[in-house]
Amino acid sequence: MNTLLIAMFEILSFGAIVVLVVLGLGIIASMMGIFNFAQGEFVLLGAYVTYLVHSLGLPVPLGMLVAPVAVGALGFVLEKVVVRRFYAAPIVAMLGTYALGLIIREAVRGLTGGLYLSVPEPISGSITIGSLHFAAWRGVIVIITLLVMAASHALLAYTSFGLRVRASLENPQLARASGISTGMIYSVTFAFGAALAGLAGALIVPVFSLFADLGIRFLIQGFVAVMVGGVGSFAGPVAGASVIGTFSAWLPWLMSPVIADVLVFVLAIIFIKFRPQGLISGRGVNR
Amino acid sequence: MSSTGTGIQPPPRVIEAARSLPLASAFAGRTKVLPILELALLIAASIAPLVLRDYITVYATRVLILCLFALSFDLVWGYAGILSLGQSLFFGMAGYGVALLSRDFGVGSIFAVLPAGALIGFVAALLLAGFLLLGRHPSSVVFVSLGTMTGAYAADRLARGSHYLGGQNGIPSIQPMTIGSHELSEGPGFYYLVLAILVLIYLLSRFLLRSQFGLALAGLRENEQRIAFFGYKVQHLKAIIFAISGAIAGTSGSLYAFHEGFVWPNMLGVVMSTQVVLYVLFGGSGTLIGAVVGTAIVEGLSFWLSDNYRDIWPIILGVLLLLVILFRPLGLISLVLGERERVGRFGPSLKEKRNAAP
Repeated sequence: MNTLLIAMFEILSFGAIVVLVVLGLGIIASMMGIFNFAQGEFVLLGAYVTYLVHSLGLPVPLGMLVAPVAVGALGFVLEKVVVRRFYAAPIVAMLGTYALGLIIREAVRGLTGGLYLSVPEPISGSITIGSLHFAAWRGVIVIITLLVMAASHALLAYTSFGLRVRASLENPQLARASGISTGMIYSVTFAFGAALAGLAGALIVPVFSLFADLGIRFLIQGFVAVMVGGVGSFAGPVAGASVIGTFSAWLPWLMSPVIADVLVFVLAIIFIKFRPQGLISGRGVNR
Repeated sequence: MSSTGTGIQPPPRVIEAARSLPLASAFAGRTKVLPILELALLIAASIAPLVLRDYITVYATRVLILCLFALSFDLVWGYAGILSLGQSLFFGMAGYGVALLSRDFGVGSIFAVLPAGALIGFVAALLLAGFLLLGRHPSSVVFVSLGTMTGAYAADRLARGSHYLGGQNGIPSIQPMTIGSHELSEGPGFYYLVLAILVLIYLLSRFLLRSQFGLALAGLRENEQRIAFFGYKVQHLKAIIFAISGAIAGTSGSLYAFHEGFVWPNMLGVVMSTQVVLYVLFGGSGTLIGAVVGTAIVEGLSFWLSDNYRDIWPIILGVLLLLVILFRPLGLISLVLGERERVGRFGPSLKEKRNAAP
């Protein structure tokens, strides 16, 4: 029974990590139709910023606050300079963002010297409930993920900014004719997605250590999750991420981690093959 | 999310309608750049070992092997519009396959290992294509790229975790390749062998792409739906070219394994796939020569620069790639090669027709 609860917690916290990583990817893919291959590297960058702040002797939580802002700002600039040239050709966008990701990855590899670097957990130790011990930091990740998810949904579904984002998604021409600056909306949406990735990187760096190829794994995981969930809606990627996160955390209890890791992806690809529209088909943000 | 719209295909190219346009005869007299370029490169490559020092020849051999690999990616992406981000899967699987043949069975004869490598690549690509490309729903480009990328990632992970395959270290000290009783070691001999294979496969690909099959492929890349309406089995065409490219990648992988003398998981994984995308986009996709030129330039520059700028070289490479994608979507080759020569001419020209007619 105890083992089961611990396992449940593990699965929940890992699922939360995947949701956090996928949220930004899903928002960019659903709202803008761009598959951002640099998203994994935004996660990496968030992790790196946190490490940088920590290595300057400043507290880690501060780094976790700085990371999303820094990565979001970079995302904003990149959208203005590079990504916006690609909206007419989503495939070229994949290649372009792939190149961006390559640059960021190699830059971080150069800066870290190819080493595995660790960042301490801001809240260490464990929470004890009865005879059970839960890692406190993982609990914090779960809570933050829930908050971020609720906030993102609220932002897109209930604010006037969200309304304008959805308008630009549904019908760019009409949105422009109605006086919405779609260019600005796209920049901000991309920056928002990047910031979410940055936050994810910042929160997970104490769990996984920082290394240059951190992003690749999350990139594939994120894409698989978005496609399993279904592109176009807000709920789709979140649902996909929950499923992928659950399997990724659960299967290693049954078999060797390497096989489990591969099996999750293979199963997901097979699922997408036979249900290309994903778990939740549809567009937009449900209220 | 559909793969059928024209907007999301690679940059459009004009297909020369030499037969119907009287204008074409006006261009017939113009100098062709492509054959000159190809010939010049061939000559340069043939005399290179005579003037280069030995260790550079060894490096050049590796570059030629990678050119072969780049050709395989160019065939699928540049000609059929399949974005295979897992091309290294076939390269690496063939490499591992022949390494195992050599380690466990002592087979090193070129007449066994090269066909074996090609076969491994072909079968693996055919199976993957059968799954990813065939089926009731046409697959989106994103799905295919994700699927191939996942394949490469999975293979990399499995190879790293497998004790039988040597884990992280891969399989070291593969015996030299043999032709009859002659042992082929690094150097000019190996170089000319690879060059001959490269030229042969280049010519075969060139022939294939200028055939009816190539014409169908070009049409498929430009407008998949229309080609489907003409009655072509679009998914079958894609699967065939994918399998052929797998065979080429496999040949290249087995050459690579024997040339380097070892195989390691990076050959299978995302690292190698990234490399080949880089070569082809850099040189110019959709022209076979572009893939070769791209590989040569990227590898040449990295040989030259990586000594002094080892840390920032990969970053420079990324920036260059981004600049090429932004400002020269057809690659560096488009600086010298005109639009109509990229695609080439299908069927006999006006002049030949006139000569043939009584």
